[in-house]
Order: sequence, then structure tokens, then C-alpha cells
Amino acid sequence: MKKTILTLSVAAAALSSALAFADYPEKNIEFIVPWNAGGGADNVVRALQNPVEEALGTNIVVRNISGGGGAVGFSTAVAAKTDGYVMTIPTNATFTLEGLGNVGFSYTDFEYIARVLVEPYVLAVNSQKGWGSLEELVNDLKENDRPLMVGASGVGSSTHIMAVALAEELGVHFEVVPYDSGANAVTAAMGGHIDAVVLNPSEVVSAIDSGRLNAVVTTGDERSGALPDSPTMLEEGYDFSISQWRGIAAPKGISQEVEDRWVEAIQAAVEDPEFQRAAEMMGSDIMPLYGDELDAFVENTAQLMIEEAEKLAQ
Amino acid sequence: MNDYIDALGLVFQGYVLLAIAGGTLLGLIMGALPGLTAAMAIALLLPLTFGMPPVMGVGMLLGTLCGAIAGGSVSATLLNIPGTPSSVATTLDAFPMARSGQAGRALGIAIVASFLGGIFSAVVLSVLAPPIAEFALRFGAPEYFALSVFGLVIIASVSKNLAKGLAAGLIGLLLATVGSDPMVGSARFTYGNMSLLTGINLLPALIGLFAVSQVLADVVDYFKTEKADTSSTPVDKASPRWIEVIKHWKVVLTSSVIGTIVGAIPGAGGSIASFLSYDQAKKMSKTPEKFGKGHPEGIIASESSNNSLVGGSLIPMLTLGVPGEAATAVLMGGLMIQGIRPGPTLFTEQGAIIYGIFIAFFVANIFMMLFQWFGIRLFIKILQIPRKLLMAMILVFCVIGVYAVDSNIFNVYLMLAFGVLGFFLNKYGFGTAPVILGLILGPIAESNLRRALLVSGGDWSVFVSRPISLAFLLVALLFLAFSLWQNAKHKTTSA
Repeated sequence: MKKTILTLSVAAAALSSALAFADYPEKNIEFIVPWNAGGGADNVVRALQNPVEEALGTNIVVRNISGGGGAVGFSTAVAAKTDGYVMTIPTNATFTLEGLGNVGFSYTDFEYIARVLVEPYVLAVNSQKGWGSLEELVNDLKENDRPLMVGASGVGSSTHIMAVALAEELGVHFEVVPYDSGANAVTAAMGGHIDAVVLNPSEVVSAIDSGRLNAVVTTGDERSGALPDSPTMLEEGYDFSISQWRGIAAPKGISQEVEDRWVEAIQAAVEDPEFQRAAEMMGSDIMPLYGDELDAFVENTAQLMIEEAEKLAQ
Repeated sequence: MNDYIDALGLVFQGYVLLAIAGGTLLGLIMGALPGLTAAMAIALLLPLTFGMPPVMGVGMLLGTLCGAIAGGSVSATLLNIPGTPSSVATTLDAFPMARSGQAGRALGIAIVASFLGGIFSAVVLSVLAPPIAEFALRFGAPEYFALSVFGLVIIASVSKNLAKGLAAGLIGLLLATVGSDPMVGSARFTYGNMSLLTGINLLPALIGLFAVSQVLADVVDYFKTEKADTSSTPVDKASPRWIEVIKHWKVVLTSSVIGTIVGAIPGAGGSIASFLSYDQAKKMSKTPEKFGKGHPEGIIASESSNNSLVGGSLIPMLTLGVPGEAATAVLMGGLMIQGIRPGPTLFTEQGAIIYGIFIAFFVANIFMMLFQWFGIRLFIKILQIPRKLLMAMILVFCVIGVYAVDSNIFNVYLMLAFGVLGFFLNKYGFGTAPVILGLILGPIAESNLRRALLVSGGDWSVFVSRPISLAFLLVALLFLAFSLWQNAKHKTTSA
């Protein structure tokens, strides 16, 4: 009797694994967010949760595995099974962590499924300090040979790395002051304790609405939907374009079927009006990319971010 | 005015009230479980609110926030498990009171004090939010540093023996240096362990130092006395103690003011508010020597301030769009998903919604009080479980709760290590509260000291040339002197 049950269950297991891809997903999917609840990436995942669940017909279980600026969560995701039931949210941090040399994984250990949102980095200065435009700011810094006190959202964060890269491109000196969160950096800049911040639009839109901060330049290919009045670095005549992005990735080795199902689900989710409204409020632009275009984008961005992060790590 | 009337219409609808009540209830339950923080409770309920109208969804999340903070004090009182860092100060007096057979009284006091604190902060939030936010912006790195020094002085006040208390505080400060350096990012004392890169996680430390150490002490006690002991803690009548709390209205008021203001300063480490209030109450008290042994004033101070903290923390989030800590950050995410962008424009363009949020916050506080009023008899039943079973249950809940923080088993080991540390600290009279103060304030003090010096170009005079910073440092000195004097006086009278 025992033997029959055993054979039966073995057969069932074999059968179910054979069918797994045909019926993906057949159980809950775990989504690893490598930061605490309430961060930018976490908000994105929670906004995506409903439409993606609907498209896939299963539950998404969000697991916040924070620590090491994303290192712990990404390492967990890389080490997960490649059956398509563990997903994570890649961002520039996936690359900068590698560049800083703190982690055992490489950006090539992930299978990138989609890019969902893009938001540029923005240099926003305290409005009281009298810099109306990027040109005025750069000229003033050069003439008076003084550093600009720039807040970023954490030591080694992608905003920190971007602040350093921006200063180099503009040919001026930024004294980067790392805060423990973007919110704290914005507060310090609003109070005039530092001169400026380099952050993502979602973190500064309220401060800009109130007129306390002035976004002098953004780093995207195009102007940010959240900050339509701020010019890009390209418009200002610098050959500099790089953005923060958030997408969907799995550990390398998932099947094509799983990838296809997720691409379909994301394609449906980005059409969802509630998700669109949330993205707009968060100051992000919905700019989906899949397949080869995505791979090219990842390759480019990874090279750039890793290089900048390595400079900082030295 | 019209906005207020519209807002009343938005809140006082059957479904909206139901959503707020549901959120509050779930918050209470999650807050009472160790490890489940207010931030996590809100994050879990977030997807439920997407389809709801804004005031309904936000009301539900506000209820969760209030409930979770209040729920934390139930486990702090009955089991010595501070559900959140802000309820650490509650354990100092509520747990000894509960242990002495007055659990009903301890909870009754806590419920009334949290309700009054919550309502106070709701009033301040609705009337004074913009000017308070303006004041909060005057806090730069030097002010945060001075504030945390001021907070560290409290160690003198929560220690039974000054030298030992300071030693425990130093252990906390030392442990706070673990993790990546806040300014240059190099790893300190992490020994290659990735889980330590962001420093020692506060929650495992908290639960280890308080709950696990208590279980260990109970186990030792249990084996020392009689093994056949299946008794439980005796309990008294469980009901809210309105009169007893209102008699101490001065403590309620000062603690609520402290809670609201500390809550409104983003990044000040909100959990120190309850310690500040506790310290304040002890200094104002005619019977400071009773603190720490089950004194009602201690419970009132901690509870009214940790619930007024909630309203305070909504101030910078709603008026400036900057969340002070994790729970308000998740809440802000919820607002944005609802299509509401916090910030000054919210007040001018969406008046009905912002007033709706204020009213919902009032309503959530009322529900919180009602649920606890009726729930108190149930909560207290937990103490009727025989001690030996209860100890095992507490340990299981601690392990699950701490694992849930980051889904990281390392935190469980950390908790157990802190449990052993806490056991010995208590056994030899060092106390565990100073360790927590050191752990919370150490990183704030260090990073802001270095930030201030980075911005000033290495000029130390910023700490005394800026009025708010200077004031905090002077008051810290004054308080230190006062604590020493109070200690000395107590020693001579009792000797």
C-alpha cells in the first residue's frame, strides 16, 4: 500500500513538473523587493501587484528582503530556483552594487524580462540661493571656485554615484553629503542646510511644487513627465543621458514560456488606468521595453553605472 | 469651511467608517504580534485600498497605523515584548505593574493615555500642521546631532545605577557602529556578513533584549522554584482608567506635546519621543523613585507620547511630502497610488480630501479606543495561560515575528544573542533600555555629527552658533546635572 502511494506521488510529481510550463503559473509567485516597505521600488511593486495578479491569474507574494542597499535581496533572488516562481525588481542598484564590489553576483546573473518605469535623476537646488538655471549655477560655482553641497540618498546609492558623475560632466566640484534616505536629503535642502540634491523626481516633486526647490536639470533622454519645465542635460548641451529604471527580472535560466507570460502580463498592466495614475503620482514615466531592445538597454546602462560605481569605490 | 463640511460627508458613510474600523482592528492585531511593524501592516493592506475612493482607502491605512502603534503596547504591557521601538518605554512601568497582578489597571491606563495622546495630535495636525512643518525644516545636521545628545542623556534617567546604565548605553553605542560607514560606505565590523551591512537591525535587538531575556529569566526562575508550578499571573478588573489618567493631565499634556513635535521632525528617530516623555515625567514627578517599578505616570507618559507621535509624523508627510520614517513612507506610497500627492498643493487644491484625512484620523483614534475598551478583557486572558506554556509561546512568536522582518534567518540568531545579552544585563543590574537608546541614537548622532562637519568644512562652532542646537546641548547638560542630583538625593534618603 505504502509503495503504491509512493509510486503514485512520484508519478504525480513528474507529471506536474512536465505540465508546469504549460500551465504557468500554477501557484503563488514570490516577488523579492530588496528594500524596505515604503521605498520607491516597493511602491512600484505594490502598484503593479493588482494588474499583474489579474493578468497571470495567481497571487503575487511580496517579500521585502532589505539589507546592504539591496545586496541581500538581490543575492537571494539570484540563488533562487529558475522555475519562474521567484521574481525581483532590477534597477540601477543592481549594477552599482556590482561596481562597488560588495556582492557576489553580476548583472549577467539575471534574466531581464521587462523595463516598466523610467525616471531621470534631477539636480534640484534650494530656491533661496538664487540659481535660476543650470548655466547660472555652473558659472557661479566656477567664478567663486566654491563647492556645491549636494545631498544624496545614501552612501554608494545610485543618486550618490550620479551626483559625482554630474559634477565631473559639468566641470564643477560637488561635495556630496550622503543622507540615510532621499526624504531626509530633501528636508535638508528645503531648510537650506545644504545647497541641492540629486535624487529621482518622485522624491522632489512636492518640494518643487511648493517652490522651495528648483529643478535646474534632469538627466533623461527626454523631459520628465513629472517635471516638464526642467531641461535635460542633452538640451543644455552636454552629452549625458542616464536614468533610473525599474523592471522585472528573474534568476538566469527561466524558460521562454515563463518569460512570455510575464511580458504579456506587464503589457496588460501598463495599460491599467490605476497603475498609470499611480506611476504619474510617483513621478515616473511608463516606458516599457522587452526582448532585444531591453537587453541592449541593460547592457548599456550596466556598463555606465558599473564604471561610475567603480570610480567611487576606489 | 465648506471643505470641512464636504469632508464630513466623505468620511461619515457606512462603508468608509467600516473600512476605518477594519483597518484599525487589523492594525491592533498585527501591532500586538512581535516583529510585525506598523509599516509592514500598512504595506500588507495597501493592495486592498486600490479600488476604494481616496478618503476611504487612506482612512483604512490611517486606522491600521493607529491600531498598530496601540497594539504594540498591549504586548509590551502583558508580555514585556515591545511590538515597536516606541513602546519600549511602556515596558518599563507597565510590565512590572502587570506582573504584580494589576494587568487590567496597566492596560486601562495605557488605553486612555494613548487615546488622549492620539486625539491631541489629531487636533494639532488639523490646526497647526503648516507652521510646525516650517519649524521642522529648521533642523539641519547640527540640530539632529544636538537632539540625539539630548536623547542620550536620558540614559541617566532610565538607569537604576548610573555607572552601570552608562556602561549599557555604551554597549548600545558600540553595537551601533556595526554596518557600512554612513559617510564613506566602508564596511565596519561586518566580518563579511552581508546581513550586517545595514547595521544591526533594531527589531531583533529589541525583541531579544526585552522578550527573549524575559523568557530566559522566567525559565531560570521556574527551575529554581518549584517545577510543578502551573500557575499564571493573577489579574485584576480590566477596564479603562479614565479618572486615574486625567488626574495626571499635566503628564498627558507634556508627553503629547513632546510626541507631536518629535514626530513632526523627520529623521529624529521618532521612537525616542516616548523616552523623552518618560524622562520628563520622572523629572516633574513628586515621586521619581517609583518609576520603573510599576508607576502609572510612567505608563501615561510613554503611551500618550507614542500615540501623539503618529499625528506628528503625518505633519511633514502631508505638508512637505517627506515621510519621517517607514510607516509614513508606506502610507505616502498609498496616497500616491490613490492619486493624492502630498505637499502644500494638497491643502489648496484638494481641501475636502485633506480635511477628510484629518477627520478620518480622529475617527481612527476613536475606533482604536473602543476596540481596546472591549478587547481588554480578551487581551488579559493571555495571562491566564500557565506560565510555562506562555513562555514557550512567546519564544515561538518572537522567532516568527523576527524572521518576518526581512525573511532572514540571521535576524533570528541576532535576536537570540541579544536575548542572552539582555538576560545577563538584567541579572547584574545594567538594564536593557540604555542599550536600545544607544542603538537608536548612535547612528543618528554619528552621521549627523559628520554631516554637520562636512558641510561646515570641519568647523565645530556650528553646534553652538546655531540657536536650536545650542539650546538642546545646554538643556542636555542641565538635565544631566538634574539626574545626577536626583539620583544622589534618592540615595541619601533611602540609605
